[in-house]
Amino acid sequence: MAEAVFPSFPTRHEVDFVIVGSGAAGGVMAKELSVAGYSVVLLEQGPHLKAADFLHDEWGYDHNLELTWGRSQGYPQTFRKFESDVAEEREMVCGYAHNVGGSSMHYSGNFWRFRPIDFVEASVRGPIAGTNFSDWPITYAELEHYYTKVDWEVGVSGLQGPWDPPRTREYPCPPMPIKGSDVLLERAAKAMGLNPYPAPVAILSQPHNGRPGCIHCGFCNGYGCEVNAKSSSLVTVIPVALASGNCELRTHCTVHRVNTNERGRATEVVYWDVDGVEQAQRAKAVVLCANGSETPRLLLMSESAKHPDGLANSSGMVGKNLMFNGYSTVMGLFDEPVNAYKSVPATRVVHDFYELDPSLGFYGGGGIDGRHPSRGAPMGFALTAAPAFGTPTWGSEFKADLAYQFSHVAAFDGHTTSLPLSTNNITLDPTVKDKFGRPAIRTTYMDHPDDIETMRWFYEKTVEMMEVAGASNIVGHYERDGQEGNVHLLGTCRMGNDPDSSVVDATNRAHDVPNLFMCDGSSLVTSGRGQPTMTIMALAFRAGELISQAARRNEI
Amino acid sequence: MSVSRSRRCFLKDSAAVAKGSFLALSLPVILSACQRSQRALEQGADFRVFDAAEAADLIAIAARIIPTDETPGATEAGVIYFLDNIFAEPRRASQLALLREGLVALRGQSPLGGRYFHELTDAQQDQLLHDNAQTSFFATMRYLTIAGTFSLPRYGGNRDKVGYQLIGYEDRGAWSAPYGFYDADYAERGE
Repeated sequence: MAEAVFPSFPTRHEVDFVIVGSGAAGGVMAKELSVAGYSVVLLEQGPHLKAADFLHDEWGYDHNLELTWGRSQGYPQTFRKFESDVAEEREMVCGYAHNVGGSSMHYSGNFWRFRPIDFVEASVRGPIAGTNFSDWPITYAELEHYYTKVDWEVGVSGLQGPWDPPRTREYPCPPMPIKGSDVLLERAAKAMGLNPYPAPVAILSQPHNGRPGCIHCGFCNGYGCEVNAKSSSLVTVIPVALASGNCELRTHCTVHRVNTNERGRATEVVYWDVDGVEQAQRAKAVVLCANGSETPRLLLMSESAKHPDGLANSSGMVGKNLMFNGYSTVMGLFDEPVNAYKSVPATRVVHDFYELDPSLGFYGGGGIDGRHPSRGAPMGFALTAAPAFGTPTWGSEFKADLAYQFSHVAAFDGHTTSLPLSTNNITLDPTVKDKFGRPAIRTTYMDHPDDIETMRWFYEKTVEMMEVAGASNIVGHYERDGQEGNVHLLGTCRMGNDPDSSVVDATNRAHDVPNLFMCDGSSLVTSGRGQPTMTIMALAFRAGELISQAARRNEI
Repeated sequence: MSVSRSRRCFLKDSAAVAKGSFLALSLPVILSACQRSQRALEQGADFRVFDAAEAADLIAIAARIIPTDETPGATEAGVIYFLDNIFAEPRRASQLALLREGLVALRGQSPLGGRYFHELTDAQQDQLLHDNAQTSFFATMRYLTIAGTFSLPRYGGNRDKVGYQLIGYEDRGAWSAPYGFYDADYAERGE
């Protein structure tokens, strides 16, 4: 795509929209609004990395957090399980990549659509005491058109499966070739009477929209794609936004406040630019797409006399209902080389347990896929496999074991529901600051007992599947004492019709501020089954279209 | 936990594994590369951070964690160069101080009595590390030895990619299916 002459808007010039965050949602939003003809400033706190910048650099990315940033880059976070605890500094509590494309740059690209039940589960299943489990204000049918836009405009490979919700158009690309780890999963699942089918992934199995197909290098999850086959917003919608000639992308911009006027309208977004100089971009409307931890932090930091508890927070729900998705993993060793470290993370899913039987006595559900236990990364495997298997952790035997284990291992992972709780939340840390002086993101999180039971159920089911698959040395893990961090950051500015119990309405507009919109993982009312980005992007396509229409009607 | 832990039942004879893998195929290349690394060490290549005695101790400890046997280990991977590189970063100054403290503390233990770790026999070294297996110093050395063996060569270790070869990671960057035995078998059976 030919690169257009990029506009450069003066900060004192009131642009139509300023968007904070260029990730999965922000990229889609920038494309929708700029292509519709509106002037857009897209603010991103990280750099604009390109395919050529991405390496298989496990030490740099996984161990020194060069893409996700942590304390050593000046961005500490804190964590506590309960509100009565004092939070402690911890790396990677809320994990996300800081760069154009956000975490869509380094995600694994598992693009399960939510299913109709996800939007109405609270009324179908009934309320769960002590939680904020609610229906969405929109249905699957209302979102289907936008899921299809994601399939085609962003680029998804897959094949309609027996459990998939109805779709109006086929996938643009066929599914990825099956990996050995998923042959083992599929055979075990079939032997157990289950229905495994090809995993939908936001990675191209063949050329699409001018991008090449995957070369199966194996470095998806946690890494940037070196050939642009992974369908991040970085290489899909953002180039379209920039080519429109209406979107200015400003990188290395650290936002710390949204200002409002006496009429209660957002007027400008205040940030430090690449040189650390404070700037304020005026705009007719502001769209926050900063993710489920940054968006609520920014709202809480934007408190004022008129908004003493934070901007758009009359409900008290900003930052609350944080949902991580649960997770379980089981690995085993096989007689022949599996080589699960090659190619995309997962090529088969089992969705027979999307809704667990209520007679089990707890709420939950999820999906299962096959993987390499360390995401294919050699260092991570060498560090963790021997302690997990109970084999020698150093010396000649350790070394000999590694050569066998790394290539002969497969993992079956469970991806599960999280319930929304007021006590699981993002707040401003009272003492720890980042290098700009912004309060650190403080996460308070303890999985609901049903979420832990669900993880346990999936853990035990995948142990059984490993046994059926013929694995030896089966070991596994789930967070029986509750998770202490995740990369899924959901629910913290939830969508709803009732301004007393939700932050944004069904069009992603803040109930309290007519020209402020929040659209990212924070909008999700329920957690889905562990692969939220497809839904985040679909919501952004929908919100972008609705915001554009509202602007045209002069209703912002 | 209802899992089978029939420890090591999978472990085939390590020589057989090496013979059947591409590790064996490229062994002469690896060994000649290792000899070059070894010569650099013997010639007292300059380190930015460590003095010669510290470097010798670190090399010796890393060599017990990932030993050199029929195939190259931490020494040939150049873990010492990885350590020397990363500890030259100012932000790791406090970690470096802890590492040095650990080395000194080790020298105070029997049977060292002030001697250097690298002066012990292999068996004595193993015993001493076993005695220290639960310490944070040993955990750190295990972590860094593995990091130096499997990180990108640009960080100084994983020389000639001996780490990748050791673990059976083919550093090709691109593949097409089939990737392994089971998916090849799946295709063959027309599943």
